[in-house]
Amino acid sequence: MASSSQKQGSSKYVTLISSDGFEFVLLREAACVSKAIKKMLAGSFLETARGDRCHFEEINGIVLEKVAEYLCYNHKNRNREDVPDMDIPPELCLELLMAADYLDT
Amino acid sequence: MISGRGRGGGKIRPPRRGMIGGDASDFETQWDILCSALREIHTKNASTLSFEQIYRASYKIVLKKQGDKLYDRVKEFEEQWFGTTVMPKIRSLITPNLVNITLGGVTGVTANERRMTGEEFLKGLKVSWEDHITTMNMTTDVLMYMDRVYCTDNRKASIFTTSMGLYRDHILRSQLTGSDLITFDILNSVVLDMISMERDGDVINKAIIRSCIYMLEGLYESDEENESEKLYITTFEPAFLNASREFYKKECATLLRDSDASTWLRQTKRRLTEEETRTQTTISMLTSQKIAKVIEAEMISSHLSEFLAMEGSGIKAMIENDRYEDLTLLYQMITRVDSTKEPLKKALAERVVDLGSEINKTITNTDFSNVAGAAEDGEAAESADKSKAPKQQTAAAKQTAAAIRWVDDVLNLKDKFDKMWKKCMNEDLVLQTALTKSFSDFINQFPRCSEYVSLFIDNNLKGGIKGKTETEIDAVLDKATTLLRYIQDKDMFERYYKKHLARRLLHGKSESADVERQMISRMKLEIGNAFTTKLEGMFKDMTMSEDLTSGYRTHIQNLGDLDRKQIDLGINVLTMNYWPMESMGGSSSRRDDGTQIPCTWPNEIQLLQESFKAFYLKERNGRKLTWLGFLGSADMRCSFPKIPGKEGVLSRERRHEINVPTYGMVILLLFNDLEVGETLSFEEIQSRTNIPNADLARMLHTLAVNPKAKVLTKDPATREMPKPGDKFGFNASFTSKAVKIKAPVMLGAVNRVEGEEERKDTEDRNDEHRGNVIDTVIVRIMKARKTLAHTHLFTEVIGQLATRFKPDVGMMKRRVESLIEREYLERVEGADVSTYAYLA
Repeated sequence: MASSSQKQGSSKYVTLISSDGFEFVLLREAACVSKAIKKMLAGSFLETARGDRCHFEEINGIVLEKVAEYLCYNHKNRNREDVPDMDIPPELCLELLMAADYLDT
Repeated sequence: MISGRGRGGGKIRPPRRGMIGGDASDFETQWDILCSALREIHTKNASTLSFEQIYRASYKIVLKKQGDKLYDRVKEFEEQWFGTTVMPKIRSLITPNLVNITLGGVTGVTANERRMTGEEFLKGLKVSWEDHITTMNMTTDVLMYMDRVYCTDNRKASIFTTSMGLYRDHILRSQLTGSDLITFDILNSVVLDMISMERDGDVINKAIIRSCIYMLEGLYESDEENESEKLYITTFEPAFLNASREFYKKECATLLRDSDASTWLRQTKRRLTEEETRTQTTISMLTSQKIAKVIEAEMISSHLSEFLAMEGSGIKAMIENDRYEDLTLLYQMITRVDSTKEPLKKALAERVVDLGSEINKTITNTDFSNVAGAAEDGEAAESADKSKAPKQQTAAAKQTAAAIRWVDDVLNLKDKFDKMWKKCMNEDLVLQTALTKSFSDFINQFPRCSEYVSLFIDNNLKGGIKGKTETEIDAVLDKATTLLRYIQDKDMFERYYKKHLARRLLHGKSESADVERQMISRMKLEIGNAFTTKLEGMFKDMTMSEDLTSGYRTHIQNLGDLDRKQIDLGINVLTMNYWPMESMGGSSSRRDDGTQIPCTWPNEIQLLQESFKAFYLKERNGRKLTWLGFLGSADMRCSFPKIPGKEGVLSRERRHEINVPTYGMVILLLFNDLEVGETLSFEEIQSRTNIPNADLARMLHTLAVNPKAKVLTKDPATREMPKPGDKFGFNASFTSKAVKIKAPVMLGAVNRVEGEEERKDTEDRNDEHRGNVIDTVIVRIMKARKTLAHTHLFTEVIGQLATRFKPDVGMMKRRVESLIEREYLERVEGADVSTYAYLA
């Protein structure tokens, strides 16, 4: 568990990488809303060893971007009420739904 | 990073096939990935695995609706893993020794060895458990999607729970080769063995036991994971409690055989703390209450009475020697096992009654040892010869001292128990009630308690409080009140108190009117108004009398009648009802019908009486004054002529002021008119004064026999009690160093213990009074109820009289009979239970 302690000390941020190579860097706190990401980074798996980089080989950049946006949006508004709805393009709906299910967000 | 994609005209794109994973999606491929990953996890190589990849594999399988297959495969994998990797390791740790211990066989293994092998085993088990937990945590993480989707949808226990169950079944419950034991048995026995080593004083590795207990707390009987079905609770705890019970049973038996109660208390206390710590450091807190119960049952409850009865260290000795520490412990212990504290209550009550009866007995014994005649001293002294008289006085004094001592002893005892109660019993109310009750019991067992308590108060008010500060006086009064509270026959007490108070007041013996009043108000608080009205009346009489005396004095001065032979009168006018005439000495001057025998007063006195009467009745019409000769005293100025032919004092004329009781004055005035050398016979005196024989004899004894104020001569000049036939003359050769002489009175002014006859008298009178009171109460009750069953009536009467005295059932029956005779009540004919009706 050496890596986990290093993780504790080192990074406030994590990187999400899409199947087509886009990288999104966001706050660990924000990303961990997804239980999958949280578990991914909590154990002593390869992701942790590589420095908190999570490859999602079946999520493309467009979807992952929306996911990242949502995570930030969610994090930013976590303690507020009356937040404006997030803009979700209808054509991405289904794919986003599946990603949400996958990530358990 | 948002790319330049425009809003695609509202068309919803279907999800890409890639997410579901098209070609590589067949189950076995995915399972291979997972299977190898699981193996890596189990061998702690997880850092080479990509979580995302494994997660995706399980995700896909579940999406393909093959969750059930995956679930079973994982289970299989775990079972296999346990079978091939974990169990062999643990089996290797279970040495034959451990098996033997479990089977109860005592082998020649030393405790140390046993501990070593046991620890090894526990360590192995602990490691296997911890590994299992870590790997299963990771496995669960990886299979999160399965848990979330498949298990929830199909209501299966999560894979984690299942794997815990697997651990339970395949490790803890796996059968050992060559015996029908399972690992669990070994675990239990090893832990218990270690705990028993610790109880015997060895040092053990608590941490390791704790870890194993944690494991048991984390495992359940079934996969439902009911809180109450923790393996710890279902399996280990009962075994532990049983073993403990055995252990403590034995320990208690040993203590009972070899030690004393004090050691037992301390050991029990120590064991309790020990077990408490054990539940905190070694096993689970869940057990703390239960194990305490076991100790309480085995160490405290089971042999409590034996320990309490122990000679030399049991409760008796504890109380005797003020072993507060022991008592505190004992109280704590007993409180633990029994909220009613019955045994302690009983023991305390017994001790109190024992000690109290001892006090009673000592007093009774001294009474007897102090001259049997003491019982009939004083008034009954007719029979006595002269030499006995002073002795009797001292006997009476001794008896009074004994009474005071009795009270002191009782108070000391009370103090002792109070202190104990405060220090050791946490001021427990239940115990206080018990103590109060037993105090009341033994005090009331002592027939003279009322008298003695009153005497105690008398003694204090007469002089005992002299020079004491207010707080000290308060303390004395407090004590008196406490005792009073215990006394059941309050009416008896009232009688005595009245008598003693009367003496104090009339003879001016009271130290402080203020304190007297305080005492009365205390009694008022304690017993109620009705009790003290008469006592207060007595005080009122006294103040009234003072006013009267001074009023009369001014009246006489205003008359300016100075030529008259001045007699200064101080008067006390007493209200008949308030004062206990009989016990003030008036009994002998009563006729059988209860009226007063008037004394024949000398002329001078009669004049004075008339004058006062006129003064008194001027403002108070219709009252009747009776002059009580047996009370009061007079100062007389006597002159003794010089006797010719004598040397020294006798050659001069001597003047003395003699203080004598009223009767004494009446007698002495007779001798005023006598010629020198003339004498009066007993009978003559009697007929001229009309003083009752007994009083007369006593008075003459004072004046003619007692050397201190021997102003009369007696013929025959013996020291015997004057009796009819004796002759008396003026003792011209009387000498005394003092000018003022107080004639010692054989009886009267001093309050002291009553003699037998006197007491009987008092009791009779009291019974008579009680009879009247009971009559009143019965009539009052019946008047209200019209008809009432016998038992109800009696309960009611007892209830109403509780504050005054405890009525005797026989007496109550007699009173009812007499009321029926007098036609206040009648029996109701034909009722199933005997019932009375009130006749208006």
